[in-house]
Amino acid sequence: MSGAKILVVDDELIVRKSLGGWLERDGHKVDTASSGEEALEKCGNTRYDILLLDIKMEGLSGLDVLKKVKENDPDVSVVMITAYGSIPSAIEAMKSGAYEYLLKPFDPDELMVLIEKIMHHQAERRETQFLREQYKERTRFESMIGQSRALQSVFDLIERIAPTDSTVLIKGETGTGKGLAARAIHTKSRRSQGPFVVVNCGAFPEHLLESELFGYQKGAFTDAKTTKKGRLELAHGGTLLLDEIGEISMRMQIDLLRVLEDHIFYRVGGTQPIEGDFRIIAATNRDLERAIKEGSFREDLYYRLNVISFSMPPLRDHKEDIPLLAEYFLHRFAQETNKPVDQISRAALDEMMLYDWPGNVREFANAMERAVVVGQGRKILPQDLPIFRPEYVSGPKGRTLREVEIEHLGSILKETGWNVSRSADILGIDRSTLYDKMKRYALRKPV
Amino acid sequence: MISKAHTLVISPIGDPGLGGELLENLEQEIRKFFGLETDLRPLIEEQDLWPDPIRRQVHSTPVLETLSILSPPEALKVLAITKLDLFIPILTHVYGEAQLGGKACILSTYRFTDGLFPGKETFRCRIVKEALHELSHTFNLRHCRDPFCVMHYCRSMMEVDRKSNQLCRYCAVLLEDEMKRLAKAGTP
Repeated sequence: MSGAKILVVDDELIVRKSLGGWLERDGHKVDTASSGEEALEKCGNTRYDILLLDIKMEGLSGLDVLKKVKENDPDVSVVMITAYGSIPSAIEAMKSGAYEYLLKPFDPDELMVLIEKIMHHQAERRETQFLREQYKERTRFESMIGQSRALQSVFDLIERIAPTDSTVLIKGETGTGKGLAARAIHTKSRRSQGPFVVVNCGAFPEHLLESELFGYQKGAFTDAKTTKKGRLELAHGGTLLLDEIGEISMRMQIDLLRVLEDHIFYRVGGTQPIEGDFRIIAATNRDLERAIKEGSFREDLYYRLNVISFSMPPLRDHKEDIPLLAEYFLHRFAQETNKPVDQISRAALDEMMLYDWPGNVREFANAMERAVVVGQGRKILPQDLPIFRPEYVSGPKGRTLREVEIEHLGSILKETGWNVSRSADILGIDRSTLYDKMKRYALRKPV
Repeated sequence: MISKAHTLVISPIGDPGLGGELLENLEQEIRKFFGLETDLRPLIEEQDLWPDPIRRQVHSTPVLETLSILSPPEALKVLAITKLDLFIPILTHVYGEAQLGGKACILSTYRFTDGLFPGKETFRCRIVKEALHELSHTFNLRHCRDPFCVMHYCRSMMEVDRKSNQLCRYCAVLLEDEMKRLAKAGTP
């Protein structure tokens, strides 16, 4: 993760241009909007980390935009930009959830420190979320389940590549079980007695990822009170999974390239080279070849990672595994929640088979958990499933998967009042995937 | 067709307060750093910069646009130097501004004398480092958090004095990438 994704909202072109350029030189990805209306439209299509929002604008005011943006995505940090005369509005904005306000003109250092602070907070939040997810994954997906040809060929491939020490790149949509596949490779390799260390590259800002991966020497920076081993060192004798590899910054790409070349690295602030014995597995849901073309991913690193690669199939491509998965999760959640549920109705299973599962096995598991929790009897019924729509009980005849997906996304968004975070939770997909789908299907909150 | 743009043009605006010796030294340092030809050539006059009547500072963004238009065909990049204080709207000031991955950049020496009367050598070093910094932006380099890298964004003159006049190994790779990309495209 490198810079933040920032939307500058101001009705003055000169401010958008100058401030945008300044932020870009500081390594951020910047987009601009000239009105509140345009800002809301952009926020509907793209997920921003930070909004720099002018308080006084023609049409929708900064305050109106703030309220609407926070309603849809409470995680976005909004900094209000205000003139001396508008301080009361800025205070009102703080009450409505703005992160901070800046009185213009402001010192560039002030802006820089504020952005760093926001990025740090957001990274901490992401890391907590990642640890929670990881905990859930550990308790839910101990093993990969599937008899389909698609999954069996993945299992065969894992059997064949596990004993080698080659670097592996696992591609696939979110929720398809890339982490599980990596763990399976480790378990079946000669390194199985060694550690299996996971780093979610997308969860850390650049400097934190660097010290997480490489560790640091005492005194390397202000907070480095003691020497700390990085995950590369902790993975010695085992396997290191670099999850969300597509999210790392250009600097980290340069560092990783060196590590992949000779397995030698330095702790931050250290001068002694450390030689590690680890296998690297990388996973991504991004199209890295496209990222290379766009200039955000190094081609040389891609070829180093892509020694062996395979894709985890989306659940819609191996629906024949659904009955098996349903049975597995039914027993698992019934046991966890201590509920006497032990059957799935034919109609409920039909519903599951008809649905496209955009969030893949993760969404499926969430749906089963909910069904077990809300179900009244011993049998799971269609209405217990979050995907159930009465009009489809007999199947969405004559409708394409795309149409069904659009409708389902639309109805969940409507149900949550277009709250993207909550909708993503219900759908069992991450917010960025939901944003992608909303963009792809032009799903927008009615004004 | 191979483009003729291969020179880094250093363009003093009026008298930037550097003196001939320092300007010459700056040109040498830039040539050594980028490994490209340099040319000292004024492109705009100080009276062409219109300070904002209230702030009494020059808005740097339009100056960059003018420099891009006026740059000669052989200019790969243009660095302008002025003694006037620069700003961009809503920020109190900027030390310089550059078109990221673009043609032009500008540096102001106005705030380079902050601190207790810097000696001639300290002043020279500051100018060189920040000139390399702004020019490197035009080669698509962004700010670097390594406090010793020339691409580090400095919040004070003390920080400028502490950083080196070199790129860190990451930024060096990124500059090399950009040079290769330009060579592929026919420049420099």
